[in-house]
Amino acid sequence: MALPNQQTVDYPSFKLVIVGDGGTGKTTFVKRHLTGEFEKKYEPTIGVEVHPLDFFTNCGKIRFYCWDTAGQEKFGGLRDGYYIHGQCAIIMFDVTARLTYKNVPTWHRDLCRVCENIPIVLCGNKVDVKNRQVKAKQVTFHRKKNLQYYEISAKSNYNFEKPFLYLARKLAGDPNLHFVESPALAPPEVHIDLAAQQQHEAELAAAASQPLPDDDDDAFE
Amino acid sequence: MDDVEKAILISFDESGAIDSELKSQAVNFCQKIKENPSICSLCIEKLCFCKLVQVQFWCLQALQEVIRVKYGSMSLEEKNFIRKSIFSMACLECIDDKMCAVLESPAFIKNKLSQVLVTLIYFEYPLIWSSVFVDFLPHLSKGVVVIDMFSRILNALDDELVSMDYPRTPEEVAVAGRVKDAMRNQCVPQIVRAWYDIVSMYRNSDPEICATVLDCMRRYVSWIDIGLIVNDAFIPLLFELILVDGLSEQLRAAAAGCVLAVVSKRMDAQAKLSLLKNLQISRVFGLVSDDNDSELVSGIAALITGYAVEVLECSKRVNSEDAKVVSTELLDEVLPTVFYVMQNCEMDAAFSIVQFLSGYVATMKTLSPLQENKMLHISQILEVIRTQIRYDPMYRNNLDILDKIGVEEENRMLEFRKDLFVLLRNVGRVAPEVTRIFIRNSLANAITFSSDKNVEEVEAALSLLYALGESMSDEAMKVGNGLLSELVTNLLSTRFPCHSNRVVALVYLETIARYMKFIQENVQYIPLVLVAFLDERGIHHPNIYVSRRASYLFMRVVKLLKSKLVPFIETILQSLQDVVARFTSMSFASKEPIGSEDGAHIFEAIGLLIGMEDVPLEKQSDYLSSLLTPLCQQVEATLMNSKVLNPEESSVQIANIQQIIVAINAISKGFSVRLVTSSRPAIGHMFKQTLDVLLQILVVFPKVEPLRTKVLSFIHRMVDTLGASVFPYLPKAFEQLLAESEPKEMVGFLVLLNQLMCKFSTLVRDILEEVFPTIAGRVFSAIQRVADSSGPEANTEEIRELQELQKTLYTFLHVIATHDLSSVFLSPRSRDYLNSIMQLLLHTSCHHKDITTRKACVQIFVKLIKDWCASSSGEEKVPGFKSFIIETFATNCCLYSVLDKSFEFGDANTLVLFGEIVLAQKVMYEKFGDDFLVHFVSKGFPSAHCPPNLAEQYCQNLKGSSDMKALRSYYQSLIEHLRHQQNGSLVFR
Repeated sequence: MALPNQQTVDYPSFKLVIVGDGGTGKTTFVKRHLTGEFEKKYEPTIGVEVHPLDFFTNCGKIRFYCWDTAGQEKFGGLRDGYYIHGQCAIIMFDVTARLTYKNVPTWHRDLCRVCENIPIVLCGNKVDVKNRQVKAKQVTFHRKKNLQYYEISAKSNYNFEKPFLYLARKLAGDPNLHFVESPALAPPEVHIDLAAQQQHEAELAAAASQPLPDDDDDAFE
Repeated sequence: MDDVEKAILISFDESGAIDSELKSQAVNFCQKIKENPSICSLCIEKLCFCKLVQVQFWCLQALQEVIRVKYGSMSLEEKNFIRKSIFSMACLECIDDKMCAVLESPAFIKNKLSQVLVTLIYFEYPLIWSSVFVDFLPHLSKGVVVIDMFSRILNALDDELVSMDYPRTPEEVAVAGRVKDAMRNQCVPQIVRAWYDIVSMYRNSDPEICATVLDCMRRYVSWIDIGLIVNDAFIPLLFELILVDGLSEQLRAAAAGCVLAVVSKRMDAQAKLSLLKNLQISRVFGLVSDDNDSELVSGIAALITGYAVEVLECSKRVNSEDAKVVSTELLDEVLPTVFYVMQNCEMDAAFSIVQFLSGYVATMKTLSPLQENKMLHISQILEVIRTQIRYDPMYRNNLDILDKIGVEEENRMLEFRKDLFVLLRNVGRVAPEVTRIFIRNSLANAITFSSDKNVEEVEAALSLLYALGESMSDEAMKVGNGLLSELVTNLLSTRFPCHSNRVVALVYLETIARYMKFIQENVQYIPLVLVAFLDERGIHHPNIYVSRRASYLFMRVVKLLKSKLVPFIETILQSLQDVVARFTSMSFASKEPIGSEDGAHIFEAIGLLIGMEDVPLEKQSDYLSSLLTPLCQQVEATLMNSKVLNPEESSVQIANIQQIIVAINAISKGFSVRLVTSSRPAIGHMFKQTLDVLLQILVVFPKVEPLRTKVLSFIHRMVDTLGASVFPYLPKAFEQLLAESEPKEMVGFLVLLNQLMCKFSTLVRDILEEVFPTIAGRVFSAIQRVADSSGPEANTEEIRELQELQKTLYTFLHVIATHDLSSVFLSPRSRDYLNSIMQLLLHTSCHHKDITTRKACVQIFVKLIKDWCASSSGEEKVPGFKSFIIETFATNCCLYSVLDKSFEFGDANTLVLFGEIVLAQKVMYEKFGDDFLVHFVSKGFPSAHCPPNLAEQYCQNLKGSSDMKALRSYYQSLIEHLRHQQNGSLVFR
């Protein structure tokens, strides 16, 4: 539970709070960053775990102390007490479980009560799973509350850096800040070329809407 | 510092300097203290004396938790103490003559304190602690600190209890109702009065606290008496705040937020309309043009759009003529500003532009003709659509090279455009001519005025034209009035300077393809269409994505227009020569990365063209041989050299061969079976020669999976194209295909046999008889492995392949039975497998988890009974079959399996299966008569505890009924009755 061998560092560091329902993949997400292997087995986080994650930007190195909080109330600990002095946050939900999205407003409210006016990223995790329940179009909460939204897939590393980059830019007040080298990530568990897949789907949709009504053959089945 | 404080500090430690053992001890220690009976007074004492924020936070958190969990069991005294102390802290009163300084702490402590107070309100207001709000109000005069705290409490009340933005339990909803009712009766007017006084008093000295108060008030407007806000005092104050230059933006925006809440309040349409009218909203219109990025402008933009939505809603709901006139006037007044806002301001996302505009356009459907100002609105809506669908030039390069950002932006836009194009379609219905003229002008302007947004302008204009085409019926497009032909002429004859850009080139081609129905009726445009597809705007475009898509679209165009393209064949082939040559003359060094399906569309298009009967035989065979000969030669050359190739060369060659097969396959699609087999056998001969060559591939590369798949699909095609004349080639093909017997390969082979049986039925009996024993031998031993493996490790790729094989096998057996080929099971060499097949079918028909597979098996049995059992009691064609059916199949499948509770009558598939099972009984009775019935009733029914009278009834029904539906529902009721009787205690096996 403590921070193993953690020294204070001489470069800028920020407390990042990660919240969201249990099972949405918060722990999996932070563990993609070198610090640990992705674990298939589900082990509920107890209280909080803190992971120091370093990123290299064009303005130098920065560190996020990621406070991976327990999503499940019954494991208690200090609950919203962990948010104190949080400088930025990620709210995670699972696109394959609608309830986890429904609870996002509550997480947001509880977070904002303790940390007023901090940059927050909303992350829809598990977009690699085919059977989505929350479609990208249905995700509107971030627009009401002026948050940034990213679709991510912890399993395949898809968009891993995006939330960190956004937060780094906000914290530095520099919209042009960028990462100069990719963080070392655990190898992707699944290889889904989301881009290709989306492209493929877009093409399918376009093809399907063709006005030419001829039967497209390939007759054998 | 005492132990408690120490423990709290340790458990909150953020530095990481503390040993994890110690920290865990501290956490447990703190947890323990919460069990202490005097925890509440301990917390309150700490709150009064300790200035450490961690300690304060922990104490408040503990208090809230204790109240929540133990409220029912607390003593009156304790409750009084907590109530009094918390209230005193919140309004800066002394506790036991001691001033408690919680309000000096950071915001998150004050928020936590509000939560504790709201938790008390949850339990005590209004019954126990009715005076909480009334008591608080006098303290507001103490100044900003208390006002701020009061606002926090009201916000927390909204967050925790009232607001519907959060999931609530039914109990919470009930409590919220109770609290709101009591507040309305008791103190809301006073609270509103306090808000008014505070804002009036502090507007100049402390705009921040005024904004806080107004932000808080905004949350309450939806459920308090609107008359408290909408009156001669408050509304003028709010507008004054909005309009006075020099006040803080935050305060002005907060005031606008309150007006928006007033505007959005749910109320009767007529009352709402007069409210909207009295607001004189036009006062704020000027503010949106000030400075686009400010908080105030986005607040005003939200107010104006929200107002417009409400007016539109009223105009739909009011009935009186007067009211309709008023709503139309208000709408006309606000719309120009709405259009301005849509095009110039960052829009508040809660407001959906498309939804609003669609609603507005819908009101015009009944108006005809449209008045002038409506026409003006229509063109402004079109302008909004055009602005909204335009890409931002900053993505130009990303979209062109289609990198990750480009892909994202393209997908976003694709999604975003969907709704806007629906809107465009609706506008097009209300005002077709205006819409077309708008699109024509957009296109013309995009071409004429080159600006730095040129690429995006052109792309947007073309997309509009495309969307217009999408919204037109085939009929309308065929007829094509004057403006349409002008549009298409412009489209075809224009060269855009930005044609090299991927998005422009793509939408250009898509749009042409979209208007093919028009071209079909106006053949004079065909040369222009062909040029567009064949030159560097299409198939020869430098961007691979464009040329690929162009190839596909060209194929579709050819398919539609082919009979009109005969005169152009020569020209088309000329233009495609270089593309074709890439395939016909591939060199060893060819390293060009082309996907294996590339070229397929081009060759398909060519095949469609040269395969027409309008092409003279001589020409046709020249064309075809000029393609097939070099392609086959390449394959032959590779096959000859295969032995001397190193692995790398070999993989290049294999990739080349794949492409060649795909190309040949595509060409053949254009040739009909009639042309190839009867009218021009010479052409058929050429395909047969090709088949000969390609089958050789299986001999030389027997283990190369992709090649095998490609050749197999070519055989499928040739079965279709050559018809029965393909038979002589099959033995050779089968020999190679059967050389490998991995499950995946076997599936492919069975699918081929299925195609043959479906196409030729009994004609393929000999061929089938020849291979059946081999197949049966292999498949049965393979799928045995499926049965053996279960449990979690069963989910491997291997098992999945075997399951696939199993499924294909059932289809295979089903196809055999239903195409009059069941005699194959009885041939001397197959006979050995008959028993295993029957056992497999029986087991599957009773237990398989896939219901449709079970159905197929029952159908097979029904067919076999019909085929193999003569109704006269002559010699048995298949000895033992009849008794197997009567003694085993009938009872196990037709009775026991349906008695099982897992057989769900509520499921549609299961019902169909049940129908087949009832049919099987009918057929068995027809074929075997009482032999079946007696056994079924005397052996089967008793074990299901069926009373004799019901058994008798069953016999009557089966004998008498010729109506399958009636029989089915009778049998279902019987089964349900029997199940009920056994009460789930059925034990058969």
